[in-house]
Amino acid sequence: MAVFLRATNRSLLRYVNPEKSLMLMARPVTMKVVEAPRKPIEDYDKFNTNLGRPLSPHLTIYKPQLTSFLSITHRGAGMALGGYLSIVGLGAIVLPSSIEQYIDALQGTGWFTHFILKMSIALPLCYHYINGIRHLSWDMGQLLTLKQVYSSGYVVLAASIISAFLLSL
Amino acid sequence: MAGELQLFRLCRNVLGQVRNYHSTANLCAAAAAAAPAQKPKLMKKVEVYRWNPDQPEKKPYVQTYEIDLNDCNPMVLDALIKIKNEIDTTLTFRRSCREGICGSCAMNINGTNTLACISHMDRDVNKPLKIYPLPHMYVIKDLVPDMSNFYKQYTSIKPYLQRKNEPVAGKEQYVQSERDRSKLDGLYECILCACCSTSCPSYWWNGDKYLGPAVLMQGLNPGKAIAEIKKMLSGIAKKETPDIEPMSLHK
Ligand code: HEM
Ligand code: SF4
Ligand code: FES
Repeated sequence: MAVFLRATNRSLLRYVNPEKSLMLMARPVTMKVVEAPRKPIEDYDKFNTNLGRPLSPHLTIYKPQLTSFLSITHRGAGMALGGYLSIVGLGAIVLPSSIEQYIDALQGTGWFTHFILKMSIALPLCYHYINGIRHLSWDMGQLLTLKQVYSSGYVVLAASIISAFLLSL
Repeated sequence: MAGELQLFRLCRNVLGQVRNYHSTANLCAAAAAAAPAQKPKLMKKVEVYRWNPDQPEKKPYVQTYEIDLNDCNPMVLDALIKIKNEIDTTLTFRRSCREGICGSCAMNINGTNTLACISHMDRDVNKPLKIYPLPHMYVIKDLVPDMSNFYKQYTSIKPYLQRKNEPVAGKEQYVQSERDRSKLDGLYECILCACCSTSCPSYWWNGDKYLGPAVLMQGLNPGKAIAEIKKMLSGIAKKETPDIEPMSLHK
């Protein structure tokens, strides 16, 4: 195409008085797209650290939100429950007396100590359980609009605190 | 002589435009002079993350600017542009469309990742406006992060429709019912701003291995897209057969 245009333009020029036509006096230029050679980027991290580029701040500047709070506490609660289970399981193997005797030993302590001890088991259990149901509903494709994520979050938070409180009385 | 005449003819419009421009500029100046006193100043502090690659020994720092909200358009991007135009030309950030469709101006504004061009500024001047680059990214300069890893991950998923037997291109069209087309809604509108991926701690800690929500999902609700894929993987949901076989014209 480019060659054709150039050839026709040149042959047309022969019949035209160049003084009469500025347009035809212009020499046609055709552009060709040439892809820039791609530099293979070495390791992304190495490339950037060699340039001395800093990492932008993250945890320290990100706004605490209900969503991220509930997400990380679900993991925390799961790990707490795992920890309790391991302690009870290992304790049953290692410790000399049975679990009833250790619980009996707590009888002497006050109401408030009982409440705190019960709470520290009941709260992660209730929260992980109820929020787990929220997670499972997400896995079924439910409650996934931003509004629903927040409202279900508040419901889970209230329900787990109330149920843990009742269980610990 | 004929040549000169033609040249003049070609230029006449340009001369007209220049004259027009000058007279309207004068009019504007006159109008501005006649206008009553401006609104009172409403000075807002804008705190911006700065880092200059030409002074690598200087640690990243936060610089505070003050702008008059009554003399600035309402969006955060407007404030940044005002600062760059009127206060500090060295301030560096990306922007293009100014209407939330290109994804260039993604940054962390008051603690959450969002697009500067569609974020309204809070007119409460007691709270400063805090602006950081997208979190946990290598900074090229000020608010400009290196997105190459993100784009490389995007390339790696081959983000286009693929067929087992690719027909001769351009021979026939693929056919599709309107209802089938509507199934794509919500699954492709992602503008690749990286706001979601760079707000995700899993992406912060494992960005070299984890593709992140944007690249994995491409929809405007990555959570929803994950759920739909999980349902299909587990067999709870099945992929519908299309209303019209897309390849029927290629037979
Ligand atoms: C003692 C009992 C339990 C223990 C030790 C436990 C422990 C854990 C741990 C360690 C995790 C991983 C957390 C993470 O990925 O960050 C987890 C996740 C999960 N748990 Fe539990 N859990 C228990 C009970 C339950 C119950 C009763 C439910 C159901 C209601 C449940 C539902 C879930 C769900 C849905 C997840 C996955 C969350 C996700 O998608 O990331 N868990 N659990
Ligand atoms: S899915 Fe992520 S990358 Fe895509 S537009 Fe939404 S926030 Fe931006
Ligand atoms: S400038 Fe295009 S999305 Fe903000």
